[in-house]
Amino acid sequence: MKVRYLLNILGKLCLGLLLSLAVNANEPTSMQRVPIPDPPKALENFSTEQPCVEPIDIIRRNHGSLLKHRRNDTMYRGVRTTQYSLAACINCHVTPDAITGNYPSISQDSEHFCRSCHSYVAVTIDCFQCHASKPDTSVNVINSINILDTSRASQ
Amino acid sequence: MYIMGFWTTFYAIAFYLATLFLVIGLAYRIFQYAKTPAPLKVPTMSAPLTLWGVVIRILSEVVLFKSLFRSNKWIWLFGMLFHGALWIVLLRHLRYFIEPVWTWVVLLQPFGKYGSFIMLFGLLGLLVRRMFVERIRYISVPSDYLMLILLLVIGGSGTMMSFVSSTDIVQFKAFMLGVMYFDWQPIPTDKMLLLHLASVILLMIIFPFSKLLHAPGIFFSPSRNQIDNSREKRHVAPWAIEKFETQGS
Repeated sequence: MKVRYLLNILGKLCLGLLLSLAVNANEPTSMQRVPIPDPPKALENFSTEQPCVEPIDIIRRNHGSLLKHRRNDTMYRGVRTTQYSLAACINCHVTPDAITGNYPSISQDSEHFCRSCHSYVAVTIDCFQCHASKPDTSVNVINSINILDTSRASQ
Repeated sequence: MYIMGFWTTFYAIAFYLATLFLVIGLAYRIFQYAKTPAPLKVPTMSAPLTLWGVVIRILSEVVLFKSLFRSNKWIWLFGMLFHGALWIVLLRHLRYFIEPVWTWVVLLQPFGKYGSFIMLFGLLGLLVRRMFVERIRYISVPSDYLMLILLLVIGGSGTMMSFVSSTDIVQFKAFMLGVMYFDWQPIPTDKMLLLHLASVILLMIIFPFSKLLHAPGIFFSPSRNQIDNSREKRHVAPWAIEKFETQGS
């Protein structure tokens, strides 16, 4: 008897939960209660088929090891490849503030493309102890990607 | 309108149920332990003579596993490696539940990352003990193995995600916070993550029914938590007075 009563209560709780969530799902996204990082949009798409140098799913999961591989290959083995270039990432993804025109700081501003997600999940970045965290303004973004693309094709 | 995927719904509801089981089950068990009568004064000698002495004794059991250290050094070592690393790994996971993440949790990240190997090493040691020490093997029941294997699966899949096949942890944190704020966000459906979460959920559910209750239980061991003052103060349970000493008068 007692167990049945408890299960009954539990079942009603679950049902209530589901119903309340069904209502929530209809709310507009501006009502969103969950903090989610909102990194700025990149300047250009990589190609008409895909926005970044790899499909977004792969970039989100493996950008760290792609860049690290490159670091290991280049630093320790002296192999210079151009497929995953940190400089090109920065040139395309780090964009100036719409009002002040300044580039966000990697150590302070959550608007910095890398920092917005990295601080969300407490992953420290050591790239920028050596590398520049702001774009090289002398380089045209489209050109920099295209140069990479042609140099990759010629290898 | 965003329609929730199957896995998001499944895991969100599973997390609610598992949390209910864990919290209510654990509270009930602690209530049960607290209510269990200890009619006799049975502290294992040599026992502390004051309350503070008892506090220190229990802490040295809980933190340092003192009596295990006295009885068996190598089991103590594996137990210590496992429990110590488990703490660091657990605290590292706070980053998925807190926004913004506390500074000390950020600083803990690399330790937790490599602590996972120590945790797995300790677990393997305890599993080997259970399988190859004859007297331990004799008293082992399936649930003893189940706990070790479950923890190995959790630790193994977690370590795999850290070092071999990554998942989208930003999206996963959004899912976790969504579950907490009752505002669901899609879960990344990488197999390793789903395996990791499923085994964690299973562990949360069976926690209040399993030997894992040694965690709250150790605080209630009469042979450790009693003061050795049987001469100074009469030890008697209220129900015993009621039953044996009020009838005649």
